[in-house]
Amino acid sequence: MKTLSKGILLAIVMMFVASSGFATETLKQFDGIKGRTFHADFYNEKACDTCHSSKTPLSLPADDACLSCHDQDDLIAATSRPDDEKWQNPHNNMHYGKDVPCMECHGEHESRKPMCQGCHSFKYTKFNQ
Amino acid sequence: MKEPKEGHQTDRRKFLAGMGVAGAAIGLAAPSIALGAVKCDTQWDQEHEIVIIGSGFAGLAAAIQAKRLGAKDVVIFEKMPVFGGNSAFNGGLFAAPNSPLQKKEGVKDSPEQMVADQLKSGRGIAYQELLLHVAKNASKALQMTLDAGAEYFPYLQQLGGHSVPRTYQTVQAVGAGITQPLLNECKKLGVRLVNRAKFDSFIFDDKGKVVGARINQGYYFGRGKKGNPINVRSARGLLIATGGFARNVGLRSAQDPTLTAEVPSTNPPNATGEALLEMFRVGAVPVHMSYIQTGPWASPDEDGFGYVSNYSIYNFAHSISVYPKTGRRFMNEIADRKTRSDAELQCRDDNGKPLPPITITSYEHAKEHPTMKKVLKYGVGWKFDTLEELAKHFNIPLEPLKKQIDEYNGYVKSGVDKQFGKPMEKAKGKYLKAPFVTVRNWPKVHYCQGGAQIDVHARVIDSTSWKPIPGLYAAGEVTGGMHGVSRLGSCSIPDCMVMGMTAAESMMKS
Repeated sequence: MKTLSKGILLAIVMMFVASSGFATETLKQFDGIKGRTFHADFYNEKACDTCHSSKTPLSLPADDACLSCHDQDDLIAATSRPDDEKWQNPHNNMHYGKDVPCMECHGEHESRKPMCQGCHSFKYTKFNQ
Repeated sequence: MKEPKEGHQTDRRKFLAGMGVAGAAIGLAAPSIALGAVKCDTQWDQEHEIVIIGSGFAGLAAAIQAKRLGAKDVVIFEKMPVFGGNSAFNGGLFAAPNSPLQKKEGVKDSPEQMVADQLKSGRGIAYQELLLHVAKNASKALQMTLDAGAEYFPYLQQLGGHSVPRTYQTVQAVGAGITQPLLNECKKLGVRLVNRAKFDSFIFDDKGKVVGARINQGYYFGRGKKGNPINVRSARGLLIATGGFARNVGLRSAQDPTLTAEVPSTNPPNATGEALLEMFRVGAVPVHMSYIQTGPWASPDEDGFGYVSNYSIYNFAHSISVYPKTGRRFMNEIADRKTRSDAELQCRDDNGKPLPPITITSYEHAKEHPTMKKVLKYGVGWKFDTLEELAKHFNIPLEPLKKQIDEYNGYVKSGVDKQFGKPMEKAKGKYLKAPFVTVRNWPKVHYCQGGAQIDVHARVIDSTSWKPIPGLYAAGEVTGGMHGVSRLGSCSIPDCMVMGMTAAESMMKS
């Protein structure tokens, strides 16, 4: 079943995230560029076009590039917060709903801070830079 | 001062207008030649019926209204990665006279009474005609938000400077409680929403009409990526709804040298006003540029608009603010924003350093608004079981503070504030008693009253002809004049929404 496999996948992802400790540990030097260890296949296969529009990227990926593999509903579930902090879910938040492009908080080749930390001091312990 | 030469600005405007046309061979050297002879050979990359720059209240309301009036092709260009602009950060407070809630609560009000309050706060230089237009149509704008799914608290608030309770607030206590439903409505209606697209300049035709804009597509704010220019034709009109310039330190401190980089702001970092400057470059009239409002309800203990702003806005009516050094009140807690900000800035220690005033509220009244929990949870507000603990924590002399609270409770009973003339209607029966909740207040740059001059049809006025610049419309904080010296709280959303709707109506008639 689709839901079941999604659930298993989510569990695996969660385990991975939990075991990775500080998110910076997932940023590793590949040939000529830093990237995330969990995306090692892209670098080994020189498959820049997984995210960028070409094999030799000149521009940033489309805002929805990550969502061709990552399921938005799964992400929302993975970062859900207790009821009184419901709208602090970065993947479905009070100011912008589900519309914040992934790369506003996450960096594939560099570390980034969650966008909301410009004003707020919310703690995102599982945050993957 | 040199006398301005007649025709000087016309020449300059046309010169710059020519510059705005991509690659056009325009007779720059001969501005005196009849413009009819100049050919506009712009290569258009896109063409739309209505082009809107900015996705805050004004831009979203304009897009929805245009669609409702039958527009087939409406596009919104937003420079940021996300939609909503400063409106998504705003406090979600919406003033409307003769609203359904006023009927329910038995509040007698009228557009004229709201305008009278605004004119008082505007200190004689606010544009009455614009204010009346907005006040008369505020309920219509409120209805647009309700139709789109916005939800409001089931009670009204009486904000500083308002003579009666007339302010709605979204249940999320933030403007996103309006921008999100409006965005969904736009999506439903088929409005094209383009992010990371920054307005660059206007494109004029050979008769001096704005017929489009140059937009940098693929603009990445804060990453040094300027994007690629495209020429976008606007068949019916171009609306500038880009908000204020509270975060443009150069521009704001040029108007008011006290607003240096040291003064924080409630606005997001993108509130920088480039489109406003572009309107001035092509001849729009600058109005009230130095009237830049600071919010007296902000807190020095958090960044941005934060939680304390809405907490204080709600609670000021039944709270007291005291100067820590004396334990005495120093202002009418619901005077207009400028009066209060000016008073707060006077609260200093012996070395002239800021000594932010303490706002004291009874716990039983503070807990009525959901922001209290947040204020306590994020450590920007404090709860005390006794006045002694409170006084000790902030180093306030206890006896004068006790006396002040007794005096104030007398005003609650009599309904007359003998100290500062605060309207006590909303404080009725709300005596100050332990336990208490407190916050510290200090002003932050919040709103730019100044901007480009418009008329009641949202048309941008030209400084040479004093007539509308054809094809160019503006709405919301980017415009100037409406509020004068100081805007009353909860009057920006009706301003933005009504003028956005009005701009759509004007464009659809064109």
